[in-house]
Amino acid sequence: MTKPRYRCLRGYTIDPGFSTRLDTMVINESIYKIKWEDLEPGPIGEYLEIIDFDPVNYCFYEPVDLDSKEILGMSGLAPSEGDAQFHQQFVYAVIMQTIENFEKALGRKIIWRSNLVWKNGKADEAQEYVQKLRVYPHAMMDSNAFYTSEKVALLFGYFQAANKIEGSNFPGGAVFTCLSPDIVAHETTHAILDSMYPRYMENTNPDVPAFHEAFADIVALLQRFSNTKLLEHQIEQTRGRLDEYSIMGELATQFGQALETGRGALRSAIGEYDKKTGKWKKINPNPAAYQNAMEAHDRGAILVATVFEAFMRLYNFRVQDLLRIATQGSGILPQGSIHPDLVKRLATEASDISSHLLSICIRALDYCPPIDITFGDYLQALITADTDLSPEDNNGYRVALIDSFRAWGIFPQRVKTLSVYSLRWFPPQLTAKEDLAMSLMAAHIKDDIREISRLTNRELIAAKYKVLQKKLHTILDKPITTLDKKWKSSKLKQKDWDGFLKNIGVVKNIKPYSIPYSDGILRFSANPKLEVHNVKHAFRKGREDQQLEQVIISLTQTHRVESGEYRGFKFRSGCTIIINILNDVMNVEYIILKRFDKDVRLIKQADYQLGIGASMTMPISSYDDPRKSINLNFQNLHAH
Amino acid sequence: MPTNQKIITMSVSVNIKMYRVGELGDCFLLCFTNGPEKTHVLIDCGSFWNNEESKERLKEIAADIKKQVTGQKLDVIVGTHQHNDHMSGFIHAESIFKSIKPEQVWLSWLDDPNPDNKLGRKIGEDYNNYLTNLRHISKQLNSSFFAGNHEQKQKINDLLGFYGINKNERANAKTDKFPAEIPARAREALQKMGKKKPAYLSPGEVFNLPGITGGAVKVYVLGPPKSEDHLYKKEPRKDETFDHKLAINAVTAERMLSAMKKLTGTTKTKNDDAPFPFDEPYRKSKDLDKVEKLYNKEKWRQIELDWLNQAEQLALWLDGFTNNSSLVLAFEIVKTKKVLLFAADAQAGNWRSWKEIKWKKMPADFNWITLMKNTVLYKAGHHGSHNSTLKEGLDNMTHEELVVMIPVERSDPNLTKKKDPWQMPATNLYKEMKKRSQYRIIRMDDGISKAKAWGKLLHQPSKNDLYCEYEIKE
Repeated sequence: MTKPRYRCLRGYTIDPGFSTRLDTMVINESIYKIKWEDLEPGPIGEYLEIIDFDPVNYCFYEPVDLDSKEILGMSGLAPSEGDAQFHQQFVYAVIMQTIENFEKALGRKIIWRSNLVWKNGKADEAQEYVQKLRVYPHAMMDSNAFYTSEKVALLFGYFQAANKIEGSNFPGGAVFTCLSPDIVAHETTHAILDSMYPRYMENTNPDVPAFHEAFADIVALLQRFSNTKLLEHQIEQTRGRLDEYSIMGELATQFGQALETGRGALRSAIGEYDKKTGKWKKINPNPAAYQNAMEAHDRGAILVATVFEAFMRLYNFRVQDLLRIATQGSGILPQGSIHPDLVKRLATEASDISSHLLSICIRALDYCPPIDITFGDYLQALITADTDLSPEDNNGYRVALIDSFRAWGIFPQRVKTLSVYSLRWFPPQLTAKEDLAMSLMAAHIKDDIREISRLTNRELIAAKYKVLQKKLHTILDKPITTLDKKWKSSKLKQKDWDGFLKNIGVVKNIKPYSIPYSDGILRFSANPKLEVHNVKHAFRKGREDQQLEQVIISLTQTHRVESGEYRGFKFRSGCTIIINILNDVMNVEYIILKRFDKDVRLIKQADYQLGIGASMTMPISSYDDPRKSINLNFQNLHAH
Repeated sequence: MPTNQKIITMSVSVNIKMYRVGELGDCFLLCFTNGPEKTHVLIDCGSFWNNEESKERLKEIAADIKKQVTGQKLDVIVGTHQHNDHMSGFIHAESIFKSIKPEQVWLSWLDDPNPDNKLGRKIGEDYNNYLTNLRHISKQLNSSFFAGNHEQKQKINDLLGFYGINKNERANAKTDKFPAEIPARAREALQKMGKKKPAYLSPGEVFNLPGITGGAVKVYVLGPPKSEDHLYKKEPRKDETFDHKLAINAVTAERMLSAMKKLTGTTKTKNDDAPFPFDEPYRKSKDLDKVEKLYNKEKWRQIELDWLNQAEQLALWLDGFTNNSSLVLAFEIVKTKKVLLFAADAQAGNWRSWKEIKWKKMPADFNWITLMKNTVLYKAGHHGSHNSTLKEGLDNMTHEELVVMIPVERSDPNLTKKKDPWQMPATNLYKEMKKRSQYRIIRMDDGISKAKAWGKLLHQPSKNDLYCEYEIKE
């Protein structure tokens, strides 16, 4: 007998805090349709192992067996705050849903960050494959939840609501962070983003921590907006009040509040409730905010609000005709409830836009630099990724995105106009010889790439990625011995190769060098180390049924200060290379570069990490040196 | 005064003595002179460690203060906030201070016991419960059940050091309460010490310094914030003051403590026994064995004691909260508009609230920036830690005569310990203070900085074994 395609699991639509209110009670339950996989009690599956150990009570809660007849027959356990087994089922459902969204958009399987093996205090080259993300639904007694890369795990806290907290919490009752779909999606996104870009944990400019938070929020928010049932309910509630923002905006604001204790970046960037009237009102995009907000969440909120703004622009554009039909052209609905058919159509539009936008946002990750990301980089990545997959853009996604980035004052550097054409990453500008070097490199890994596309086992894929990483490292470092005959027949010289390397952010044969900074000197060591982080393969489908097969390579070079006043300072350069495979030919499409830029980027980073500004931006204890906290720590970042 | 200058009959000058307590601690004696009039203001007297040496030193200092005011009055004692390093002297040298018979004590509105001060009292109550629970948590951490988490214990003990808590102190067996902490006792002593009733000050108040006629010196109260908005703000920041986070954290500390008690088998009350978060106790089953095995297999992914990290977070939060409850005062010499800013240990949250102060009886264009721009003496917040001087504040301290006083002691064990020594003063902030003041820095440990710019001032600072001294002339 064939296995079922999906497993249906009941769960909360939004925070259970909301479901105790009458007006939202009807929609508090949703069915999560998760791709079928055989599960061990836990649940433990291909991607996840949910281990319900509660160190506070020092006990294990009995693991749920989702494959048992009783549970299968009921579409999972019924939502209940008091049942630990339901909690396990629920985190499983939401995390798997998030993973599915990523895999669909990225066109490959998610492989978690590998475990660093430590030898004599140094991270060993041989990293351990981690098959399953560990999940602890009841890991601490705290209003916090976080992802930790050291354990490759998600930890969710629970806490007692204070007696006087406003809102819908039961005073003194237990609140579980693992029961909020928004929080679970947010934390899962941190884990996935970290698996793709481990260097985004390095706080090199104010956009980096903000991006981690904002991106996690964007995914959670758009997932919330893909839920048709929730949207229908919200539209119905408004009773004809279909003015621009209020319907969706309110839902987004509630989202921000659900993440209130600091997990979310959103807070009140989109709208807020008037203290006196209790009415929701929109906050207009403020182009100055991006210049001024430096704290991770405040800054992240701008990016979330920007994407939401794009969503709203698309929604308003797409429902115009429906509203005209429903109002005989007047645009004004009669008093009373809206026709249920119209409600359905509006909700479907919104959820379609949401899913598409989510795909675009996720895909854009592959077009980001491996280090030091800025919001501007992300806008360029969004535009390029979407252009690759949907060249026509019949529905105006890109225009909507550009418009809202403009409204929020986020502009990429070195871009002359805000048009799709100039916002796209440019194809590499290589000389004929550099181009030849590039194609030699691509050809060197072609067979392995071909092999990966046939693999389905994640561990084998991960192992193959490792092989590819090594291969690339060798050829970049020693092209002559690696290529041997091919090198000879190519007639390339080492200096041509070095020229090519420069175009991917790598400099060779460097002697120790010094850069005066503030009233000291940054002393960099010789021969900065080269690292090939990722070689990934993607096979994906666009809105216009465009098929695309790509290889994504990301690499960095690290310049270190190992002595003197600024010991420990690191400056990285590097790039993401995107290679298109068409009819078995590998073609380098983009090089997304963070140049070895001593004059501007390095000084900017030093000012941010070492300068006076540093003291006010790093949220840490008064007793530490703010200059030390260069790596992100989600436990602290979230514990606001 | 140089003879070629015009002699003004009534000219106000201020002498500032920063007492050298020999460890982390604040003790400042200000003497305002206006012709024949003199007003003495003592701002804080305390040091961190509470050992015999600390006590002796504080007594010596108190005796000197008594000597300084002999034949005159000690007009005001200011107690800025509930930390030992600002308050312990009023306990260890209590009898000396009593014998000086100060005229009045100034405390913040938070300390006002008046039943009408509902907010202050409620905060005080939450605060005390929080602190008590934290002390219990710190004791619990020493239990063998939590063996191995040394770093946590150390960090919490360091922070509790601000309360001068004796490690061997035990809670009362019946009430489960500890003897009052030194700062709390000091506050009580202060409340009884003045001839007049204590004054409890709120931000936005502006009044004439007692003892100086004609309003020649004005006092501005900047912190701690009092507005409802700051108290119950919807989106509190970690470092912001008085929001409902205090209530949440107080409950969390209580919950955490009862969980620890349960684990170490020291439960006392029924409340401690109530199961949380689930009503039913867990059951063991076959499936569970598998999960348990998996958990035990990979040590690097276990979460045995990780949840205790929160104890440190809670302690840090309370510490920040207490620093933010600092009474912040600015003294203005009206004629020259020169300002002396005493920020106690105010952290960013306290500083940020100054923007929103509605000043009583002041022109509309007056605001905190005006005070910053006129500051000629800045007593660095919190011994120069990085988040206790708001960048925007320092950026606006543009007065040509700016001098910075930092009560910091480089030999203090908190600053010399190997693991995570406290960064006081914080490197970057220190650099910036030097720049702003043209290197005119007076430190408690090193004394007077070498700087050409001292020559631009009318009075040169000096130091002796007991204090560093500086005078602001007209």
